[in-house]
Amino acid sequence: MTWLRLVRGEIRKLTTTKMPWVFLVVLLIIAAIDAAVVVFGTDMDGSKTFIASGADQQSLMAFGFNAMLGTALFGTIAVAREYGHGTVVPTFLTSPRRPRAILAQQTAVSLAGAALALIGQVLIIAAVALALPSTDYGFMVSAGDLTQLLAASALAGAIGALLGAGLGAVIRNVGGSVTTVVLVLFVIPPLAVQLVTDAVSWIPTTLFSVISGVTAEVSLWAALIAIAAWALVPSAAGVMAVQRRDVV
Amino acid sequence: MTKIDASHALEIEHVTKRYGHDVVLDDLTFTVQPGRVTGFLGPNGAGKSTTMKILLDLARADRGHATIGGTRYREMEDPARTVGVVLEPNAFHPGRSGRNHLRVLTDAAGIPTDRIDQMLELVGLAQAADRHVGGYSLGMRQRLGLAAALLGDPPVLVLDEPGNGLDPQGIRWLRDLLRGRAAAGGTVFVSSHLLTEVEHLADDVVVVSRGRLVATGELSTLQQAGTSVRTAEPGRLTRLLRNAGATVHTGTEGDLIVRGIEIAEIGDSACAAGIALHALIPQAGSLEELFLDWTSNNNTPIYGADTGDMATERLAVPL
Repeated sequence: MTWLRLVRGEIRKLTTTKMPWVFLVVLLIIAAIDAAVVVFGTDMDGSKTFIASGADQQSLMAFGFNAMLGTALFGTIAVAREYGHGTVVPTFLTSPRRPRAILAQQTAVSLAGAALALIGQVLIIAAVALALPSTDYGFMVSAGDLTQLLAASALAGAIGALLGAGLGAVIRNVGGSVTTVVLVLFVIPPLAVQLVTDAVSWIPTTLFSVISGVTAEVSLWAALIAIAAWALVPSAAGVMAVQRRDVV
Repeated sequence: MTKIDASHALEIEHVTKRYGHDVVLDDLTFTVQPGRVTGFLGPNGAGKSTTMKILLDLARADRGHATIGGTRYREMEDPARTVGVVLEPNAFHPGRSGRNHLRVLTDAAGIPTDRIDQMLELVGLAQAADRHVGGYSLGMRQRLGLAAALLGDPPVLVLDEPGNGLDPQGIRWLRDLLRGRAAAGGTVFVSSHLLTEVEHLADDVVVVSRGRLVATGELSTLQQAGTSVRTAEPGRLTRLLRNAGATVHTGTEGDLIVRGIEIAEIGDSACAAGIALHALIPQAGSLEELFLDWTSNNNTPIYGADTGDMATERLAVPL
């Protein structure tokens, strides 16, 4: 009961600033770009084969990795700014058992991340569906595939937000934690693939491609476990860091 | 207040805190009693805020421990209804309204939301409740912090410089509020650098300097704890008394103001040294004078009388 109250307080924090609205505007822009690509984009030969099949359209709309990156930024800003503004002090005064407070915060941020990613995926699907009539192709993605896309995006949103929240709690500085998120998701994976070719199957872009049903480098279960590890490691690091440190 | 009883004393016991090689608190021990307002004084960097953070489990002591009603803060089941805290006037998200800041706290602590409007009204922020905190003045942020501290109607208040930024009416209101809480049996522990305000507000004081306790006890007793001495050999007597552990400075009428040792000991020491005394008179001092004496180089703790447990371990030195 107490923990649920803490989660509710954390959700209240997230919904009483402008930050979610800023991310929603970004999602609208991404959906508009996808629609513009459908309307104006062509392949090298001038055709529109990139939307010629259900699989092609599903691939275009797959939002998993972008959702993870976006919500990782959302999560890390939401948590790191708590230290910058000092609002973590009333949090720990209300819940002096810090792991419980941090788990409530990570839960709230993950739920918000999942919601944002789901909204983003819905907007993209709607934008593509609205743009397709301007081409020679209809909307060919099945209901089952759409469900998989939505589920994958919601998962990506939760996972990304959790990863960001963990890094935010470890680093406690908005600039530093945003930089770290970009390094972890954008810079380190390609470098790792350069060093170990097999690593390509375990980086977030590949894993969400599998989870979204676009590719099949590894099994779905292996992809789910691997992507969970990407979030749980920084999440656990955040809990441990907060447990040990003084709040100054 | 929900629960008020004698069990809400604050106990700081042998607390030592280091940051790197710097000793911020050095074996600090004192008690804050319920039913009284206790002023917590010390120069900048004396360790007041660190002491409060250790009491509230926001910082960990390297040695010793602090309890509220015999319980560590981190072990409290319902801290928001037990302890109200004001620590930093800027611990708010500037883009969140004052009302929403309080909503976050009531949600997290399970406090009825009707307390929000009651507290906003109490602190005089009802008209500004829906404005972003970023647009608040320092005084308004202090009032919001006080509203947050009082949300759970706690029997214990721990307030770090709550008067900062308040206008004279606000200071008066705060004084009445805190005195009312103490009169109802609450424990009020308030740090301040406004000595005249503490003089009006506090029943007891705890004074720290460089992380060490330098004085604690009932303020009125401590204020009486000085002696005015007249002698033809002030320089010699000053050296003698300082060697005996007293603080000595020259008063406005050329007399010596002596604190830290008993009046009889002054007379005996002077007699033994063959120094003639022309007057030996108990002397009350202002809190400012006392504070400057306490926080000078003399590190011998001074304990005032009649404060219950506060003076039980190392008995009062009647001055």
